[in-house]
Amino acid sequence: MEFDKKSLLKLGKLARISISENKLNNLSKDLNSILEFVDQLKEIKTDQVDPTSNSLNQKLEVRDDKVDNKNSTEDVLENAPEKEMDFFVVPKVIE
Amino acid sequence: MRDSHTLKSLAVLLENKKISSKEVTSEYLKNIESGKELNCYNTISQEKALIDAEKSDERRKSQNLRSKYDGIPIGIKDLFCTKGVATTASSRILSNFIPNYESTVTQKCGEAGMISLGKLNCDEFAMGSTNKTSFFGSVKNPWKSLNSDNELVPGGSSGGSAAAVSGDLCVASLGTDTGGSIRQPASFTGTVGLKPSYGRVSRWGIVAFASSLDQAGPITKTVEDAAIFLDIISGHDEKDSTSSVNPKENYYENLNPDIKGMKIGIPKEFRSDKLPASTQKSWDECADLLKTNGAEILDISLPHTMSALPAYYIIAPAEASSNLARYDGVRYGLRVKGNDLIDMYEKTRSEGFGDEVKRRILIGTYVLSSGYYDAYYIKAQKIRSLIKSDYVEAFKKVDAILTPSTPSTAFEIANEPSDPVQNYLNDIFTVPVNLAGLPGISIPFANDENNLPIGLQLITNSFEEQKLLNVARNIEETISYSETPEKWWLK
Amino acid sequence: MVAQMIEGWNLVIGIEIHAQVNSKSKLFSSSPTDFGSKPNSQVSLIDAAMPGMLPVINKFCIEQAVKSGIGLNAKINKKSIFDRKNYFYQDLPQGYQISQYKDPIVGEGFVEIETENGQKKIGVERLHLEQDAGKSLHDQDPNFTFVDLNRSGIALMEIVSKPDMNSPEEAVEYVRKVRSILRYLGTCDGNMEQGSLRADVNVSVNKPGNELGTRCEIKNLNSFKFIHAAIVYEAKRQIKLIEQGESVNQETRLFNTQSGETRSMRSKEDAHDYRYFPDPDLLPLTLDDDWIKGLQDSIPELPDQIKERFINEYFLSSYDANIIVSDKATSEYFEDVVKNRNPKLVTTWVTGELFSILNKKNLIIEDSPITSKQLGELIDNIENGKISNRQAKEVLEEMCESGKGASEIIDEKGLSQISDENEIESLVDNVLNSNPENVKKYKNGKDKLFGFFVGEAMKLSKGKANPKIVNDLIKKKLSQ
Repeated sequence: MEFDKKSLLKLGKLARISISENKLNNLSKDLNSILEFVDQLKEIKTDQVDPTSNSLNQKLEVRDDKVDNKNSTEDVLENAPEKEMDFFVVPKVIE
Repeated sequence: MRDSHTLKSLAVLLENKKISSKEVTSEYLKNIESGKELNCYNTISQEKALIDAEKSDERRKSQNLRSKYDGIPIGIKDLFCTKGVATTASSRILSNFIPNYESTVTQKCGEAGMISLGKLNCDEFAMGSTNKTSFFGSVKNPWKSLNSDNELVPGGSSGGSAAAVSGDLCVASLGTDTGGSIRQPASFTGTVGLKPSYGRVSRWGIVAFASSLDQAGPITKTVEDAAIFLDIISGHDEKDSTSSVNPKENYYENLNPDIKGMKIGIPKEFRSDKLPASTQKSWDECADLLKTNGAEILDISLPHTMSALPAYYIIAPAEASSNLARYDGVRYGLRVKGNDLIDMYEKTRSEGFGDEVKRRILIGTYVLSSGYYDAYYIKAQKIRSLIKSDYVEAFKKVDAILTPSTPSTAFEIANEPSDPVQNYLNDIFTVPVNLAGLPGISIPFANDENNLPIGLQLITNSFEEQKLLNVARNIEETISYSETPEKWWLK
Repeated sequence: MVAQMIEGWNLVIGIEIHAQVNSKSKLFSSSPTDFGSKPNSQVSLIDAAMPGMLPVINKFCIEQAVKSGIGLNAKINKKSIFDRKNYFYQDLPQGYQISQYKDPIVGEGFVEIETENGQKKIGVERLHLEQDAGKSLHDQDPNFTFVDLNRSGIALMEIVSKPDMNSPEEAVEYVRKVRSILRYLGTCDGNMEQGSLRADVNVSVNKPGNELGTRCEIKNLNSFKFIHAAIVYEAKRQIKLIEQGESVNQETRLFNTQSGETRSMRSKEDAHDYRYFPDPDLLPLTLDDDWIKGLQDSIPELPDQIKERFINEYFLSSYDANIIVSDKATSEYFEDVVKNRNPKLVTTWVTGELFSILNKKNLIIEDSPITSKQLGELIDNIENGKISNRQAKEVLEEMCESGKGASEIIDEKGLSQISDENEIESLVDNVLNSNPENVKKYKNGKDKLFGFFVGEAMKLSKGKANPKIVNDLIKKKLSQ
């Protein structure tokens, strides 16, 4: 697999990162170099191996169903770039 | 500055009233001021630190101390959320972010009475090994090569944390390590860097890079200090589902440098022709030293070592691509206006993230995307299983493993390779430890021909931090490494 | 009607139900889940996805998912995985939804529904736990969308059916049945108006014998009426397309509750690439056999079992039993009333008079103005002959109005029925003695006059005489 401009732009869409035309070349070179590097794993046989997504060997800890509402609306909105009437505000979305 | 302090020595000075917290805090604030050129701090908490120091002195007067280390000034990597103090992850996207909550680790430091001097520079979102990816510019290594005046990288991503300890801009510091981000800069700066077992230290309130690999730990001047600091920050946290329920130990109290009868493994896969002769020499000498001190040295094999780095560069970016999705300009951080919601997202993230972060998000997005998931992500997770089982097998035979920390000593900032993969190789010795969730420590062993510190890495089985610190302490005690950088920035 | 409309076509329907877990706090945070609170007042730092925040799972939600699984006759998976479903949206703070993808907590099961052609088994594919998203308000400002994260992180159970339904009625019955089971279990309150239970419906049409058609998914239907209407509209639309020689596009559609139409939201080509992967913040969830066994033992009697019991114990018809058990509160009400009373009479009164009052007043049985105890008292008065059925209806109405008890009203109004044979006998004698002509005519074969005597006797008793006794006595006297 190689990153061409088209696939890179598509990837940028998926990651919500716009990529400017003048950066496309270098970026695709870098990403191809990384892919080439990780592609060496293809040579390792792993048919019989289970994947590990977290190395910690422990049961999932659970919590009780208790309400603890210590974060106020102000806390939650404090850093918001744009807010109004206790809402976060974003450009109009058409569904 | 008189002698350089350690947590241990300073605790004694404070206890004996030879110095007050306010005095020592002012001293370090002065050092920070005069060491500005090193670019270690993103935020200096001058006022707050002095107020906190005064409070500590009052507690000492009224014999109401929070711990033996009450009043000692430390530095905090700018990845730990700190209430009321900017937390930026050295990224433009968080450059205006002031949390109203405190990470578990920094909370624990506060509960021990430690004083935060400020927030330490690092690679953006901890992605890097030279500290060059920081939105606030590179940190400079306090060390310089004998024959050159050129500035060196401090390593990364906890570059500011390591450089600040090395350059006496704090007594000890907090870092985080996802693939070597504590150990590698510690190695580059002649400091001790400890990455605890995955789950030993809470991740709550630390800006996440790769959740299954991230682990906070101390960077200190000595192994003793590392034990002291780990005592303070470790333990179960019910707010972190991946925090270990294993009871924590008293690492400092139980520090025992006796290694008689221990078996130390030397993994053959870490050997390389490309390793500098001086690093190889240190590695050999250290093995001999451990042997002399009563340990048995065994050659071992960790067959999948070379697959660790490529696996890491799939897993870490994959997790990061998802972890960094929350930086979208809606609830906090940078927002760049756009024509519509998607345009706003894309502009915000494009302008808010630096190049390396964007590269990793894109790679991570790619390896998780439909059609590539099995070939990349699942493959890498399988490799991770193989690496983990390599270590499980090894620890049936040995107590600890000794390797170099890094394939080279610190290099010039100007010489950083432009190919990202070349940079990734800096982490080749440290990454397997994260993938397997093990504790690892880098300790300074000697300086190379250019008078630059060489770090060696010790690794033990999960939650065997005590054993790890014991072996490290044995080496430290034997060699008494006491090299310090010449403070060129004071000129 | 529907069957006619789509004659010659097969309808294939699969449904995803999103049922909110009846928990006090959210799935991965301790924020409350109350409905209708002030915007962003039930949001923790975790729900707002502040940097460094981590999820910790709510034990109660795990229990409810497993209980629901047991209620759906499903396999409980002893190991399940939480995954991240990655997509960007203004009301999805993390940039991903924590859900379960390949390894859900509950596997295959089934529910049985009543159809025109008898019982039908509808397969359940899976049930998994996931986070709800926040809410976007698009109508507050012409240029901006407002985001409220109160719902963000609330625990949902997504229940995915197999494509086993073939008519809108079956689809509605299926959702009704699942809702009823969850309500019996107490795992979800089933309040569709408040969005505690929503359905995404997959519809496709094909000619019998042909392969399955392309399906469309209609999102977020929150009433039985809408489910029915959306399926009818969508089936018609697809049939029309195919009959016009066009093809159906696989897409997600929205149902407009005003117009009753569906419209395209996004096509398959625009489908998200969700990049599911195991959430590294959460270890695999493992369940012990003993723990599952404990939950199994705590499962209350469910509608199917209760129905069977009602049929056996109270000799209810399958039809009546079905009506009564479809709702937990109704079956509890019924059972309260039926104890030591005539089941047939109780069934008639519950499904007849009581339901009609509730319907008229648009009330649910929990809010019934007549408690089960009060209805019981009324029925007692019928059973012991104090009042007639007709009188009882009047009494019931009065009970609704005044809130008074049946006996009290009967006494007050002097409605109490005369059942004393001696008293009635003197009434009857009185009537017969006063009408010797008619008695003669009757005896000569004019049978119709029997009603006249009964009527006169009742008139004389001001309607209070027990009509059966009146009848019996008149018959007896006239045959003498």
